[in-house]
Amino acid sequence: MKVEEPDLSGSYNYSDYVSWQWPEMVELIRGKIFKMSPAPSSRHQKVSGRLFLEIGNFLKGNQCQVFPATFDVRLPLSSKQKSDKEIITVVQPDLCVICDPDKIDERGCLGAPDWIIEILSPHTSTKDLREKFDVYEEAGVKEYWVIHPQEQTVLVYLLNGHGRYEGTLKPYVRTDHLSPATLPGLTIALEEIFPLEGW
Amino acid sequence: MKVEEPDLSGSYNYSDYVTWQLPDMVELIRGKIFKMSPAPSSRHQKVSLSLVLKIGNYLKDKNCQLFPAPFDVRLPLSSKQKSDKEIITVVQPDLCVICDPDKIDERGCLGAPDWIIEILSPHTSTKDLREKFDVYEEAGVKEYWVIHPQEQTVLVYLLNDHGRYEGTLKPYVRTDHLSPATLPGLTIALEEIFPLEGW
Repeated sequence: MKVEEPDLSGSYNYSDYVSWQWPEMVELIRGKIFKMSPAPSSRHQKVSGRLFLEIGNFLKGNQCQVFPATFDVRLPLSSKQKSDKEIITVVQPDLCVICDPDKIDERGCLGAPDWIIEILSPHTSTKDLREKFDVYEEAGVKEYWVIHPQEQTVLVYLLNGHGRYEGTLKPYVRTDHLSPATLPGLTIALEEIFPLEGW
Repeated sequence: MKVEEPDLSGSYNYSDYVTWQLPDMVELIRGKIFKMSPAPSSRHQKVSLSLVLKIGNYLKDKNCQLFPAPFDVRLPLSSKQKSDKEIITVVQPDLCVICDPDKIDERGCLGAPDWIIEILSPHTSTKDLREKFDVYEEAGVKEYWVIHPQEQTVLVYLLNDHGRYEGTLKPYVRTDHLSPATLPGLTIALEEIFPLEGW
């Protein structure tokens, strides 16, 4: 079993990923290593926690399940390339909702979650809006929310009939109420997840 | 001359606005008062100053002029309704670029700037993305940038031939280089205006 630090410029797969024993968490996107650093801010965690409660409370007794980070999501390139060595994208979304229980195993999720939420920070916004945006679209994640926690806006992307994301022209703001396409019965008042004062 | 505090629920015009002597700065959008509070964050100001330097240096010896806040921009409903009593929208954008010198007088700008940049904060994001978005579009501000300074993303909106804003699907991020449509010769490397460390 290899435990030495891998070369950050190399290309890896999930079977490499599970062999690593690092102090830092990483993600693997198209074979490339992305470090998860530094730890998220208090505001990031507050928004994440409030969303988890809103969604989790709604999902009691529902087939869909919500998982907060840290939870490995393996995104195979196709439904036929699901072996550990064939999987080159493993991400840890801030929140994900999975409605197909067959995708969940003891190591996390294998396949596209139905809904992913990423809460941006200065260190992750490029990855979230470029690399992850592209792999979520390609993997077929039907709904992708991108949250700016500090300035309190939400971008919503939905896959169209051609498998490409479409978004609204303007971000949603704290006076809006949002219903995810994945869970139409749920309504989230953004002012409840965005604290106006303090961090 | 009236100096008492105006009723916040009332409807006002620019001739009212100039008589007010309020401790807080305000904006007037479609006759409605919006308070400018609290003062912007250090990061907000740092991004603003970086942009002032970048754009200001580029505009030396050019026809267009750059004005940072506070600078009153009066947006008349039409080219025929330019009297003080007819103007019901007076805003102070974080930054604006004006290429028609006839629009500038000693009180500020009368008419639509060519390019407006708003840098969001938790207290202004709703106003910037709702009320101001709408009046800038209606007034014919050709280019509107919306910056999330904390998470370091930029949304760019350009008026199309029908006078409506169109934007890119994904926000720009700190690895991008942006050239404003207003000043095609200028290129702004976003990593220069977004400090990765510190506030």
